[in-house]
Amino acid sequence: MTAEPRHSVDPKLLEILVCPVTKGPLEYDADNQELISKSAGLAYPIRDGIPIMLESEAREL
Amino acid sequence: MFALMSTETHTTADPQGEERTTHFGFKTVREEEKVDLVRGVFDNVASKYDLMNDLMSMGVHRAWKNRFIDRLRPHPGQKLLDVGGGTGDIAFKYLEKGGDDVTVFDINHEMLEVGRDRAIDRGLLRGIQWMQGNAEELPFEDATFDAYTIAFCIRNVTRIDKALAEARRVLKPGGHFLCLEFSKVVAPVLDTVYDTYSFEILPRIGQLVANDRESYQYLAESIRRFPDQETFKAMIETAGLDVVSYENLTGGISCIHSAWRT
Repeated sequence: MTAEPRHSVDPKLLEILVCPVTKGPLEYDADNQELISKSAGLAYPIRDGIPIMLESEAREL
Repeated sequence: MFALMSTETHTTADPQGEERTTHFGFKTVREEEKVDLVRGVFDNVASKYDLMNDLMSMGVHRAWKNRFIDRLRPHPGQKLLDVGGGTGDIAFKYLEKGGDDVTVFDINHEMLEVGRDRAIDRGLLRGIQWMQGNAEELPFEDATFDAYTIAFCIRNVTRIDKALAEARRVLKPGGHFLCLEFSKVVAPVLDTVYDTYSFEILPRIGQLVANDRESYQYLAESIRRFPDQETFKAMIETAGLDVVSYENLTGGISCIHSAWRT
């Protein structure tokens, strides 16, 4: 496990988040700082602790 | 976030099929282009955002925002989603006036970084979360929030109807929708004065102060294109929100629309 990033995502926020495209659940990948939507086949990046919930910025799985 | 674009969307048929277009100020552009245009403009203006607000509202936006927050009646345990509030203006006032849980949501990363840096400077580290995304596709469960605010942003949204439907979806039953936006000036004389100001004077100030005449020109144009008070009220009703009302501020230069999810 690498050092704690300077900004971490608030756990409370993760509880209410869903995939913006499918509204399906997300899994938090702390190591890669990504939010994984299996239903959409997309990984949303988290940059400096800010989740980027845009399809255009997501990585295809 | 201040919007430099207007929001009207319509479909025009062409021989190759249908192409959806929208407005960027007074220009007509393809819908897909608009998001990039919006983000480009805000990348340009992020650092001069406060100045821009002051110029555009002749300094009155601070009073408008205070009124807006009063309408929200912030209190502990109220879960707020603030859309388009990247630099934190609404969120900070909300926390100062008694709120304790706000998610700031904006399509522009630079605006969010400005906001978060300001929060750190103010020592506001609790009760505020930052997230980047599109108002038309909110990444939240149904019935998550007690209140939804959107201040000087909705003109920016390509499909307002989708954004309003999403607002309703993420609000809990009994949840409050509040929108602050430039609107149609209803006071006589003031309408002429404001028109002259926004189309003649403001772009020149933008040129002098920010070396960016075009962005300020778009801002003026997008305000003119935005639906008037009654039209926007009807759009909110169409989205399924109830008890819709509005309150003009400074003769209708700006307007608060309020609605509830019942």
